[in-house]
Amino acid sequence: MDMAGEDASIEPKIMSSQWQLNINNLTNTSIVINPTSNSNVESSACSSNSMADSICPPIWNQPVSGQSLGYCDMIVENNTSTSNTLGNGTSSIIPVRPNAILRESTFLRDFPVILPSSLPHLPADSGFIERAARFSCFGGGNFVDMMNPFRMSESLNPYTRDLASEGPLEVLAGKGSKSLPVMQTQTHEMNAIERSMEVPLPVEQGTEGSSIKNDKMIEHFPSSHDEAIFGIGLSAHEFAEAEFSGSGIQGELEDDAGESSAKELGSKKRKRTGQSNNGSRQAANETAMDHAEIQQQGYQNRASSKPCGKHDKPGSQGSDLPKEEYIHVRARRGQAINSHSLAERVRREKISERMKFLQDLVPGCSKVTGKAVMLDEIINYVQSLQRQVEFLSMKLSTVNPRLDFNIEGLLAKEPRAGPPSSLAFSSCVTMPYPPLHQSQTGIIQAVLPGLGSFSGPLQGSVNPQLTTVGGRFKESTSQVHCAWEDELCNIIQMGFTSNDHLNGQNFGGHLKSEL
Amino acid sequence: MKTHNQLPSSHSLVESRFAYLFLKALKELNKNRPSSPSIRDTYRRYNLIRVSAYGLMASAVRPRRAWSRATLWKIRNRTFLRALMKRSRTRSLTRRVPARGNPKKGLGCKLVKDLRKLVPGGEEMKFCRLLNETSHYMKCLQAQVQIMRNIVDHYST
Repeated sequence: MDMAGEDASIEPKIMSSQWQLNINNLTNTSIVINPTSNSNVESSACSSNSMADSICPPIWNQPVSGQSLGYCDMIVENNTSTSNTLGNGTSSIIPVRPNAILRESTFLRDFPVILPSSLPHLPADSGFIERAARFSCFGGGNFVDMMNPFRMSESLNPYTRDLASEGPLEVLAGKGSKSLPVMQTQTHEMNAIERSMEVPLPVEQGTEGSSIKNDKMIEHFPSSHDEAIFGIGLSAHEFAEAEFSGSGIQGELEDDAGESSAKELGSKKRKRTGQSNNGSRQAANETAMDHAEIQQQGYQNRASSKPCGKHDKPGSQGSDLPKEEYIHVRARRGQAINSHSLAERVRREKISERMKFLQDLVPGCSKVTGKAVMLDEIINYVQSLQRQVEFLSMKLSTVNPRLDFNIEGLLAKEPRAGPPSSLAFSSCVTMPYPPLHQSQTGIIQAVLPGLGSFSGPLQGSVNPQLTTVGGRFKESTSQVHCAWEDELCNIIQMGFTSNDHLNGQNFGGHLKSEL
Repeated sequence: MKTHNQLPSSHSLVESRFAYLFLKALKELNKNRPSSPSIRDTYRRYNLIRVSAYGLMASAVRPRRAWSRATLWKIRNRTFLRALMKRSRTRSLTRRVPARGNPKKGLGCKLVKDLRKLVPGGEEMKFCRLLNETSHYMKCLQAQVQIMRNIVDHYST
């Protein structure tokens, strides 16, 4: 959990703060949005449900029931396994949840749920295999690639046209959630597929073909959802920043995903959905068709996207969708577009986002502006922290250890080593060091804060503790305790053996060189 | 018996692990402590404690972070590194990589170099990743200082 958690803890924090901004800006209605907690993605998922609840009423009149917007279902039915009815009408509004929620999410879990309910029996198809192979090639999981089969099947178009007159989509458009162009177009496609499957159709082949494609899309979706979601998030933000170019949130919006792995994909998606962004302002059916067409062209031109054929669109908002074989990029006002500056822009946004995060970490740096000053502060702070560590270790080396440890005092004095970590201690101890614990109970009780109070019930309740605290402890400690032991032994042994070398060194000056 | 409904946050896990390891190390160090330590011994202990502080923090973090990997590697190869440096008298192992991907060439180059020196393993990273590692490293350092301070306070009271 550590890596994913720690990484994710940084990213969702940034992202969830930007969600609020996004949501406040993107939904032009007077929907009151409950402030989402900035803490974890799990809690944010629950809060997204509450937010969905708050948004639900205005949309709910529209008949959205039958077509479970399958994709959107996943977003809301995140960790809670609520019924489909909750997810249906509301999920389409949530603009940029996907990228953060689905990272942790239950996409993999939910998709199979959708599958049996919505898909009829699928005949095996040779085209299936071919398309499956094609999908697996584009490991980036573009919606583009998934949309391609839709492009090929003409029978889908009438359904997209049908959808154009659908209530919820109009509501979506009307509510100014044009920030969801990609979502819309993709929900168009999804809706088309769902409807084509649920409603008996005159064109049987189209049904089967689309259902097969849907199945494929859904099957391969989990493998690629991350990057697709980032793409969606990025594209939505790209659109949003074009829309609200006056707002100062552009930088943050654009960089919401913040993943370097998705950077490439994101920039490409931004280009592609630049077109779809344009189109969605027009009639929805045109969007779907154009989107599909241009997706295909985009796909064909993907290899040569960057060098060739970029049309500058300096802040043009309402231009028509040119149907050429070029990748169109939505630009911010006053910024030139070429391949280099786009990548530069992405990089700069990422760096500025990270600098902001660092700013939060360093105490007393909230008012500092500018990268140079900020860097200076960071360097000073890290140096001071390192000096403090040295000083404290010096102090520790001179202090005489007392035999009678005040366990409660230790427990109280370590602020973060509160109850959770004392439990961590106990479980850490029990898993790798059971013999140690039994033989040297007194010493370890003295040393470890909080263990003394736990020693009694500890032995009796090792298993429940482990289960409650989670597999994380068990797997982490059992896997790594050897490494810890080795580390410990190494360090101390090496320290003892190589002391003669150390004596010749200066005190603090060679910190880096020694370490 | 306390009931814990919530999993501890990721960072408190690292902190608790570090605290546990560090206390153990201190315990071991104090076992063999001579009754009247000379300055040399004290200095020795100081260095041991310092190194173990960094090393245990790195191992508590797991080698998932570049800086923790770099720290562990440096600790493991301390003797080797020292011998190499003494022989060659040049910092052969710390290659000077120009700060790639630095957006502010004029202003921040020196600052970025300093930052790279500070953060272990930061020599060969792109600037963006350096910032990531710096933030995580700072968090861990803060936790380390906090824990050590607590231990010292406990010892001294």
